[in-house]
Order: sequence, then structure tokens, then C-alpha cells
Amino acid sequence: MSLLESLRFTRGDTVIHNLDPRVKFLMTLVFFSVSVMFMDIVPLLLVFVVQIPLVFLAKVTNEWFKSIKGAGFIASFIFVTNMISFYYFRSGALTWDLVEYSLALTMRFIVLVTSFSLFFITTSPDKLSLALEKARIPYEFNFAFITAIRFVPVLADEAQTIMDAQRSRGLELDKGNFLTRIKNYIPILLPLIINSIRRSLELAEAMESRAFGATENRTNLYELKMNNIDVMVLVVSVILLVLAVYAKLYLPPFPSLLGNGPVF
Amino acid sequence: MALIEVKDLSYTYPQAEQPAIKNINLEINQGEFILLTGPSGCGKTTFCRTLNGLIPKFYNGEMTGKVIVNGLDTADHSTMELAQHVGLIFQNPDNQIFALTVEKDIAFGLENLGKSKPEMYKEIDWAAEVTGIQELRHRATHELSGGQKQRLTIASVLAMHPKIIVMDEPTSFLDPVGAEHIFDVLNQLNQELGITIIIIEHRIDIAAKYVDRIIVFDRGEVRSDGSPEEILSNEDTRLLGVGIPRILTLAKRLKDEAIFDNNPLTVDHFYDKICTVIQPASNKNIKPPFDLDELSGEYHHKPLIEISDLYFDYPGNVTALQGVNLTIHDGDYVAIMGENGAGKTTLVKHFNGLLRPKSGNIRFMGEDIKDKSVAQLARKIGLVFQNPDDQLFEETVEKEISFALHNFGIKESLIEKRVNWALNLLDIGKYREKSPFALSGGERKRVALASVLAWDPDVLVLDEPTIGQDYGQKERLRHFLMQLRTQGKTVVIVTHDVEFVAESQPHIVLMADGNVVTEGSTKQIMTTTEALARCSVAQPEITRLFTRLADYGLPNDVVDVDEAYDLLNRKIREARK
Repeated sequence: MSLLESLRFTRGDTVIHNLDPRVKFLMTLVFFSVSVMFMDIVPLLLVFVVQIPLVFLAKVTNEWFKSIKGAGFIASFIFVTNMISFYYFRSGALTWDLVEYSLALTMRFIVLVTSFSLFFITTSPDKLSLALEKARIPYEFNFAFITAIRFVPVLADEAQTIMDAQRSRGLELDKGNFLTRIKNYIPILLPLIINSIRRSLELAEAMESRAFGATENRTNLYELKMNNIDVMVLVVSVILLVLAVYAKLYLPPFPSLLGNGPVF
Repeated sequence: MALIEVKDLSYTYPQAEQPAIKNINLEINQGEFILLTGPSGCGKTTFCRTLNGLIPKFYNGEMTGKVIVNGLDTADHSTMELAQHVGLIFQNPDNQIFALTVEKDIAFGLENLGKSKPEMYKEIDWAAEVTGIQELRHRATHELSGGQKQRLTIASVLAMHPKIIVMDEPTSFLDPVGAEHIFDVLNQLNQELGITIIIIEHRIDIAAKYVDRIIVFDRGEVRSDGSPEEILSNEDTRLLGVGIPRILTLAKRLKDEAIFDNNPLTVDHFYDKICTVIQPASNKNIKPPFDLDELSGEYHHKPLIEISDLYFDYPGNVTALQGVNLTIHDGDYVAIMGENGAGKTTLVKHFNGLLRPKSGNIRFMGEDIKDKSVAQLARKIGLVFQNPDDQLFEETVEKEISFALHNFGIKESLIEKRVNWALNLLDIGKYREKSPFALSGGERKRVALASVLAWDPDVLVLDEPTIGQDYGQKERLRHFLMQLRTQGKTVVIVTHDVEFVAESQPHIVLMADGNVVTEGSTKQIMTTTEALARCSVAQPEITRLFTRLADYGLPNDVVDVDEAYDLLNRKIREARK
């Protein structure tokens, strides 16, 4: 949950925030494909080294750190399971290359989390929706997407209030066996669902009253326009991808950092 | 021709047996500022929905008669077309804000109409300016306060340049200062831009001085229609359960003295008139030789809830309480007041352990509540939340009320008894087998209250019990609270409703910025103007009058109509001698 929460958009006025969402998404995809292409620690560290300045540039170090912390558990899980499984498959010899390999896989995960958190933390849903619009996704879907995001905090508040109200009536959520516990959530879910239905009716009324669907040619207050920086980032991303593919196909494998001697 | 013409309008909701409104004939002219009022369920909201065609198009159902708005028959034009002539604003601002930023939300209607970018920016600039939210333009909509959200909804509708703006209880989620602010904006739209404004509102004391016409609905029909002075001084209106401003009630009781040729709606007006009759006194503000209140003091039983140095932060380091110290005694009747965001609800959620302090401690009956569960505490301290819809979920009212009793493990035979008792106490016995969702708002509120009272807690805490309630419902609540007090219950209410407080006279705790500013009896608190201003609490009308009458040898700590009448009556007789 904390991992998801740390992906929430944080407003800012930096180069990264102002990048065209399509370009930023391409950049994220390049990070993604490069890190999936390699299993060696050196290229993965290289990607990480490229990402860090971007995080600083976007001034979202705190948020990024939170997402890494949120991913910490899974990261350590990846490391430990890899260590254990390889240890047993390789008949009990603990060598440095094994440690390096597990570290590389963990690093890959962290690089992936970083690239996606950087994208979501710095891209406003409004811009995302514009990008969807450019991709010719029908406006109704787009509207649903924005509305969903708009009502996340509202529904979260409401769920909390309902929970408080029912606990004040003596409802104990974490009491009883598994089935009872599920049943305990009924008094919370029902009002939440009923309120949401009521809310959706009110929303529909309000939409009508604001001329929703009045014209086929709906306009948008914001527009996407690529500027020089966008083009530059686009070119650099593509070059990086080409370089990575070239390295993968034609260059010798990357050197190992830790060697392959025994750990003990 | 009138701007809005309604002819023989009747409408029945689908599957309803009775018409929601019937035989309505009205003419509304350009530039009017109209208040629609009447008891809950009288058809006001239904009427508003006919003005932009939501009825009958969105709701279906059966409509007869005609509604013509700005020359357009609503039967022949779609809601999206009518939206450009009539801006309809609903009660809950959250359910009509669609965008993630303020500016984008103002643009929503314009985008739908296919306006060009420069046009939109022009309209946004103008609408934001007029409603005073210019500096919020780039803020996220979910970060706004209630008052700001309400102003945003006005701006969003205004940007489409409607000739008429219709608002359904725009101020019910706001504190009095926020409410005043909304009325100022509406007044400006009306005066400077000539926009016709129609509002539904229960807070007549605030609305009366702005509007120039009041239409009273009752059981789906127009009961009366006229100027505020005329309508509000009509005995019929009072009997319907419409809240009459206290200052007018006072004037009417002094009527025998023939001071007022027409009925004063504002304190200023009343003051000007009364000053022509009574004379300033040389001995200012004489107190009676001994003050009964001070002599007896406020008699306190033993302390029940003791809070010391309570600090609390919400996640994300949002400071909510900053060192609250408060003691509530057994049998007290306490009102916690202050502006939105002062920490009132946060504080009462500590009473039964829903929230746990960051530091400081809370004692209940002398024991620290740190190690007690919410369920254990709730058994003794009943919390009733603001919105009944946040807790009702059972199939029948009876099951709803017994829900908590089962949770507390009360014996089956006793449950039966307690449920009957609660049903009778709140006069909802006839709904026993009905679904709580089939009831009206006021009835649902009573079911929620009954569902807490049923387990007979020692302390009853009510969060904003008067919100959205009409005058009659408030009166019933007030009597009910008095009844509970005579049974020795401790009652705590969180409220903005100054007039409700003035009539029931609790011990008041004023809060601002997560702290208790001051506390004392209603009379004491309502005369400490500085603290009141700091907490955005307005003085009751009667107190405002007596504050101004200080030079006339009258006490300034008068809060209710009865006392005010006695004092003024005596004064007038003295002057006439």
C-alpha cells in the first residue's frame, strides 16, 4: 500500500515535471527495456546512475525514497530467495558470482521501481489524460480515468468516516476467525457502496447541468506541445536504447565486479 | 415577459405515489434574489430541478404544465442547452467538481461547449476574479476548504454566463463566516451583474437580509410568496416550521408597544427603531446587585472526561491538536464551537479512542483510556456522526438499532427492550420494519441517533446535529437533548449553529487552530467578542443587539428572545412613564 501511495503525483515546476508525457513515457520504457535486457550488474548500475540525477532534477527525492522504502521488502525478498535457491542448486557452494547475480536481480527491480515512480510522481493525471486523448482514446474513457483519480481522496475520507462510525457502534474489525473478519467488513462496505451509487447519480446530474456532451467538438483547456527539451530527451532516449541493443548483441559480456571466489 | 414562467406545474417521480410538486404557478423576473424555503421534503429541490430540464428528462416521471426559462420551453430543450441559461449548483460541492485543478474545473463547462482556448482563459479569469478565487487557480481541487470548493462551483457555473443561478443549500457544509462569504459573492453577482439568483436555504437568519423575495413551499405547493418582511412576519410561516430570525420574533413580541411600523429583519434596523423609544442611561451597563450565575457558579459534578496536553497529528505531519486541556463533568451539556478545521471533530474522536494522542493523556472516570479498546470506550461514550448515511446499512430500522447491542454482547431479552425504548424515545416506532434507506433525511438522522442511544451510553457526543435540518427538526432535537439532560446524561455537541446554542445555552468550548481558546457559559462566551472573532463564531442576533444597547443601561450578555423581551419591555414602559 505504501508503495502505491508513494506513486502519487506531486506538483512541481521542474524540467522533468514539464516534459511532454509521451516523451517521458518513452524514456520510462527505455529504462524498462534496458533493465530487462541485461542480467549483469554493471549495465544495471549504469542505468541507476543515469536515473539518480533525474530524481534530483525533479526535486522528488523524498517521494522517490519513500517508494524505494516501500519496495524494500520485495527487493530483499528477491535477493534472499535468489541466494537460497542458487545455493541449493549449486550443491552448497556460496561464491561471489552468486551474490553478484542476486544483487543484479535486486538492482533490476530497484531500477524498474525508480523509473515508474519517477514517471508517476512527476506526471499530472491531467497531462496523462491529454496523452490518452492524443492517442485517440474516446473522451468518455478519459473522463472516467480523471474522475476515478479525482475521487480517490474523497472516497478514502468517506471510508475512514464510515469505519469510525461503525467502530463507535462497537464493531471490532479484527475480531474472530477469517470468515467472521470478512463479515465484519459488511457494515463498512454497504454504506460505502450505497453512498457511491447516490454520488454517481448526483455526479450525472451535475454533469448534465454543465452541458456535458453538448458538442462533438469538445475542446481542452490544456494542450500538448513538444518543445526543444522534449525533442532532445526523445533523441537521447532513442540513442541510449540503440546503444544498449548494440552492447547486448555485439559487445563481449560485461566484466564481473566481485569475481567468482568463495565467500567464506 | 418574465424571465422564468411556471404554469400549472405538477410532477411525480417515477414509482412515487404522490406528486412531489403540484399546481405551481410562478413568475420570476430578471434581477430578483429569491429564497425558497419550507420544511424538509416540501418539494423545493424538485422545483429547482425543473428549471434546467433535469426534470423530466433526467428523472423521467410524469410532468404536466409548462416551465419557460428565458423564452425557452424546458420540454423542448435539452439540459445541456438550458445549462447556458440556468446554472444549477447542488448541495455537496464534492459531487460537482470534475477536474483536478481549479482552473480546469472552471473550464469544464466551456470545454463541453467547444469554446476556443483564448475564450476559455478569458472566462476563467473573469469568473475566478468575481468569486475571489483568483489566487487558487492552480491549486488541486481536493486541497480546497469547504468554502473555497463552494466558491469554485459558483465560478464554474458562472463561466458559462447563465442569466439565472440556482443553488440548493449552498452553505450547509460551511461555518457561519464561510456562509456569509458565499452570500456576499451571490449578492455581488446579483447587484453588479444583474444575475437572477434563486437559493434554497434553512439558515434564514443569514439569508433574510440579502434576498428580496421569499417563496415558501409546503407539501409540494407554493404556500406563500412575497417580500421577506411580509412572509417572515406571517404567523402561518412560523407554524409551518420555518425558522424566523430571532430579531424579528423579538420585534413581533414587542408589537403591542407599537414601535415598529414595518418589521425589522436586521439588528441595525431594530436598533435604529428601538433607540427612538428608549433613553440612554447614565449608569452604563448596570448589573443586577448580585449575579445569580456568579453566586451559584456553574455547579459541577465530578469530572468525567479529563484531557491534558493533548497533541495529535494526522499522517503527513498535519498538525490537528496542539496541547488541548479540557475537562467535561458528569451531567454537563457542552458545545464545542469554532471554524472548520479548528480540530473539533478530531478532538471528539479521541473521546472513544478512534484517534490516539501523539502525546498527552485522556482519562475517563479517572482512568487512563490508553489501554482500552474503542469498543470498550464506545460502550460508555456514544458518538453520533454528522451524516447518517455513513453508518446505516441494515435491512430494517429495528436491525439497525440492535446492531450495536449485538456487538456489545447484550442479552437478547434486553436487546428487545432497549430497541423498543429507543424507537419510542425518538418517535420512529412506526418505521420499525421499514428499510432505513426508504426514510427521509431527517428520519434517517433520528435512526442513527436511536442506534447509539439504544445501548444507553453515559456520554452522548453529537457531531453537527443541526446541519441540513429545518427549524422544526432542530426544535425537536433541542427538546430531546433537554430531556436527556434531565436523565443525567452528559451531552457534547460539535456545532456551528449559534442560534441553536443561544436557545439551549450549553457550556461553550471555543476552539481555533487545534487548541481551546476559551470556555464558559453561553452568556460569558457570547460577549467575549475577541475570542469569538478568532474562532469565526458569530454572535447570536440578540446578543449583537444588546452589545449595541450597552449605553442604555441594559446588560450585554443577553442571548435568548425571552430574556430580551423582558428587559426591553420593562425599559420601554419606564421610558413611557
